Amino acid sequence: MGLKDILPGGGTSATTGGILGMGSPTFLTSRVDFIVNWGRRNSLWPMPFGTACCAIEMMASAASNFDLARFGMERMSFSPRQADVLICAGRVPYKLAPVLRRVWDQMPQPKWCISMGACASSGGVFDVYSMVQGIDTIVPVDVYIPGCPPRPEGLIYGLMMIQEKIRQESLTRHFEHRAEEPGLVAQPRASDIEVAELSGAFGNSTQQDQLSDGKTVRVASTSEDL
Amino acid sequence: MKEEKKSGLDAVDEGPVSSDVSRAEHSGGQADAGEHASVAALTEHFGSAVVRHRVYAGDQHVLWIAPEKSHEILSWLKSDPDHQYDMMSDVTAVDYGNGRPINVVYQMFSTVHRRELRIRCELPLDALEIDSVVDLWKVANWLEREVFDLFGVTFKGHPDLRRILMPDDYAEGHPLRKDFPLRGRFSRAEQTRRALNQDVERFYRPEDLSAGHTPQQVADVEVGTLASDDAEGDA
Repeated sequence: MGLKDILPGGGTSATTGGILGMGSPTFLTSRVDFIVNWGRRNSLWPMPFGTACCAIEMMASAASNFDLARFGMERMSFSPRQADVLICAGRVPYKLAPVLRRVWDQMPQPKWCISMGACASSGGVFDVYSMVQGIDTIVPVDVYIPGCPPRPEGLIYGLMMIQEKIRQESLTRHFEHRAEEPGLVAQPRASDIEVAELSGAFGNSTQQDQLSDGKTVRVASTSEDL
Repeated sequence: MKEEKKSGLDAVDEGPVSSDVSRAEHSGGQADAGEHASVAALTEHFGSAVVRHRVYAGDQHVLWIAPEKSHEILSWLKSDPDHQYDMMSDVTAVDYGNGRPINVVYQMFSTVHRRELRIRCELPLDALEIDSVVDLWKVANWLEREVFDLFGVTFKGHPDLRRILMPDDYAEGHPLRKDFPLRGRFSRAEQTRRALNQDVERFYRPEDLSAGHTPQQVADVEVGTLASDDAEGDA
């Protein structure tokens, strides 16, 4: 569906010519939201944050067989300053968490985030001491792509969902939704309770709190509790 | 002879075998010291410092040695012309849990004589200290840092002993120890908060990332200058 089909009278009449034909008017009427969102959603530049096997699928999506450029992701932006979509592909250890958060903080508005694969979305099988249990505890996520790893079609579908989300956005509402507290930069996105809920439910083995001698571990909430 | 298992799934029905089963002795075949030239020489040379000798998987000779003699023995193994273990393949450790000693493992290879040897040192949990071998093999630098990070073994004389995998300010202990809970000691919320409060600039300095950067010299060790004279003097 191109611009010609959507705009009123676009390209339908030989005499008026629509906006693209002979004798076309030098103006057109549309909603600002529509024209801005049209531009935004068809020129999304992804910021690849690939940490694991999902990144291999992400690279495949950008290569010729799947060709993300068809959807306006003409260029993977390796600087967060020129990026619109953060694609977090792969597991994120706690040591990398501040880096992910800073990359997100450095991206200019408007920006979106895709959590690609099981590990980025929930920690996946890595329900262990070193791994972030879902990047939504650190940055806001718009689209979660399931899979381990997702196929390139999955990533492309996720990006198309972002495009659909952008299409339904309004400039006025957009700023309300996207407003960021300056004080919240580099802070966890989720509250303590949310983190506990998000990470607790994904336990993939029993007796996670047991030591080899059968004792149960008390989990400390601060270093003073130890 | 033990009862035969019909398939691999039989073992699944039996459930996990606890690591608490105390073993009277390490498994592995009793071996003749004469099978391996270095083992024979070591036993002759250092006598009681060689605690045990076993053979695993056919031809993997494993020697347990006294930790306090480790540097002397390893230095001799590297420098002696009949052995020359010039390649340290791996320095790692094993924790068997339940208060048993942590084993520091040195996996060595001699490219000259094409021999492999594994040296183990048992360190009791209340004395997790052993001499560093960075002055013998430069590769031991990061490997020993890894053992220090994950097991809490201190390597005396290491030029730069700090955490390598976990964050510098990690406060929950040493993750590969058997008394470390799988999910860590802090709640997930606390872990997330601590992670985001890390001083990132300390790990990733701009000058480290810039083009043309020459890696920082961490150890000023001449490879090849060994205590070989001392070893020969002992002999």
